[in-house]
Amino acid sequence: MSTLADRISGLFFLLFGLAMYLWINPNFIETVDSRNIAPSTLPNIVSIVIAASGAFLTLKPTQHQVRNPILMAKTGLYVGLLTAGIYAMSWFGFEYVAPVLALAIMWLIGERRPLWLGLGVVAMPAIIWFLVTQVLGRALP
Amino acid sequence: MVDLSTILAGFGDAFSLFNLAFVLFGVVLGQFVGAVPGIGPIMAMAIAIPFTFGLDPLPAIAFLVGVNKGGLVGGAVPAVLMNTPGTPDAAATAMDGYPMAKQGKPLKATKMALFSSVTGDTFSDIVLITVSAPLAILALKMGPIEVVALIVFAFSILAGLIGNSLTKGIIAAALGLLAASVGQDPENFTPRLIFGYWDLFDGLALPSVAIGMLAISEILHRLSEAHGNMRPAIVAKDTGNPDDRRVTWAEYWSCRYTMLRGATIGTILGALPGIGSTAAAFMSYAMTKASSKDPGSFGKGNIQGIAASESANSAVVGANLIPLLTLGIPGSVGAALIISAFMIHGMQPGPLLFENQGRLVYGLFGAMIMANFINLWVGQLGLRLWVKVVSAPESIIFSSALLLCFVGVSMATSGLFGVAIMLIFAVIGYLMASFGYSLVIFIIAFFLGPRFEKSIAQSLALTNGDLTQVLKSPVAVALLVLSVVSVVWFLRKNAQEDAE
Repeated sequence: MSTLADRISGLFFLLFGLAMYLWINPNFIETVDSRNIAPSTLPNIVSIVIAASGAFLTLKPTQHQVRNPILMAKTGLYVGLLTAGIYAMSWFGFEYVAPVLALAIMWLIGERRPLWLGLGVVAMPAIIWFLVTQVLGRALP
Repeated sequence: MVDLSTILAGFGDAFSLFNLAFVLFGVVLGQFVGAVPGIGPIMAMAIAIPFTFGLDPLPAIAFLVGVNKGGLVGGAVPAVLMNTPGTPDAAATAMDGYPMAKQGKPLKATKMALFSSVTGDTFSDIVLITVSAPLAILALKMGPIEVVALIVFAFSILAGLIGNSLTKGIIAAALGLLAASVGQDPENFTPRLIFGYWDLFDGLALPSVAIGMLAISEILHRLSEAHGNMRPAIVAKDTGNPDDRRVTWAEYWSCRYTMLRGATIGTILGALPGIGSTAAAFMSYAMTKASSKDPGSFGKGNIQGIAASESANSAVVGANLIPLLTLGIPGSVGAALIISAFMIHGMQPGPLLFENQGRLVYGLFGAMIMANFINLWVGQLGLRLWVKVVSAPESIIFSSALLLCFVGVSMATSGLFGVAIMLIFAVIGYLMASFGYSLVIFIIAFFLGPRFEKSIAQSLALTNGDLTQVLKSPVAVALLVLSVVSVVWFLRKNAQEDAE
C-alpha cells in the first residue's frame, strides 16, 4: 500500500482534464448559437471537475494497492490479441477468426487437453454460429 | 370501470394450458439469453416479436413478458458465478453475489438472487394490478423540472457507493458524464466529441460500455491471473454445510425489509419513463448498505446486497407497464417493444384500453403472475445447471464468454465498431479498477447523463432560464432537499466507517 498510485492517477487526470478543456473540447465540439445550454457546457464543466479532482488527488492521495505490474502486462498481451481478433474479423469474418482466437486464448491460459481445446475451438464457435445465423436469423460480425 | 366478470374471464384465459406453455417458453428463453453476457432479454424480445405475428394477442404478449422476466433472473447468474453481469441491471448483484460464490456458496447466492427477483417482481405486479391508474396520473405530473430533481436525487445516491475516496468517486462520475456527452448534443443536435467517427453520432452504446467495463475487464483480469493450472471458472467447493447450498426461511425473512425497499424503489422508478432498472438496482443497493448496521460486510458476500439489487431491478419490469397500459407511454426499451407488440395485434394502449380490451389486460396480468411462479420453478432447475456449466475449466468459459460478448455486442450495436468500443472501455475499466476508481459510479453517471442534460435543457426552455421556477414545484423541492440530506448522510456514514 502506498500513495504513489493515487499520485500517478491524479496527475494523469489533471493533465487529461486540462487537455480536454483547453484543446479537445474547443476543437471537437461544434459551436452554435445555442438556446439554453451550449454543446460544450457539460463537457467543459466535467473537464474542469476532472482536472481539479486530479490536482487534489495528487496533493492529497489515499493509500491504495495497485495491481501487480506483471499481471497488467499480461493483460496488455490479451488486449493486443483481442484487438488483432477484432481487426481480423473485419476482414475475414467471425466464422474463420473465432476458432483461431479461441485457440490462442486457451493456449495462452495454458490449456493443452485435446477434449477441452476441441470444445472451445470447434464446438463453441459452431454453437454460436448455429444459434445466431440459423436460429435467430441474424448476421455474425 | 371493468366489471368482475371481465376480470375473472381475463384471468381464466391466462391460466389456460396453451397460454401457460408460451409463458413457460418465454421464461426459459429469457433465462437462457439473460445469462449470456451481451445478448440480454431486450434483444431476445426484439428478435421474438416477428415470431408472435401468427399468435393470438394474449399468448404473444405473455410470451414477451416471460422473456423479459426470465431475462432479469438469467442476468444475475453470470454476475454471481463469474462476476460478469449478463445485463447491466445485474451489475449491482455481482458486488455481493460473486464474493459469496467464491466463499463456496454459489447456489445460495444464485437462489437468493432468484427469490428476491421473484419477490420484487411479484410486488410490482400487484401494484400494477391494483393501483396502476393513480400511479400513472402521478407519473404524468412529473415534468422536466421534476425529472431533473429526480436525477439529481439519483446522483446523490451515488455518494453511498463512493467508498474510501470522495475524490476518486467524483472523478469516476465526471468521466461517466464525459463519456455520456459523446455524440449528438441533446438540445442543438450538433455532433460532439465524435472525432470524425459518425458511428458515434448517436452516442456510445450502453451495451458496449457496460459489457466492456463490467464483463470484459473482469475477464481480462481473470485471464491475467491464469497460470496454466486448469481451474474451474468458479471453485464451487463443498463446505459440507447444507445451509450453504440453500436459502433458509430465516435468511429470506431477514431480508424482508431490504426486498420491500428494493421493490418499492423499483416500482417507483419503473413507473417513471426513462429511469430504468440499472439505476433502481444501484439506488436500492446503496440505500441498503447505508442503512445497514454492518456496512463493512457489503461487497464481501452479504446476502442483503443481493436481495437489494435483485428485488429492485425486477420490480421495474411490472411497473414499466403502468404508464404503458394506462397512458400509452413506454417506460423502457422493453416496454416499448411490448407496446409495438400491442399495436401489431391491433390494440392501442392508453386510457381506453381497460374499457375496450379489459379481458385481455387482465389476461396479461394473470400471465404476469404465472410468469413469476414459472420463473421460480425454472430458475430452481436452471441454477443447478448453470453452476455445473461454470464449473468447467476457465479456459473454455472465458474464451466462450469473450466470443459471446463479441457476438452479442455486435448484434446490439449493429457491427464491429461497437465491439471495438467495448474493448476500449474494457481497457479503461481495467485501469480504473486497478487504480481504485469505481466502475459502478462511472456506469450510473454514463446512464443518467443524457437524460440529465436533456431534462435541464427542457426545464430551461420551459422557464425561460428562470431557475426560481423550481421553487414552485413542491415535488422538485422535496427531491432536491432529499438529495442534499442523502449526500450529507452518506458522506458522514463513509467518514464514520473510515474512522472505525
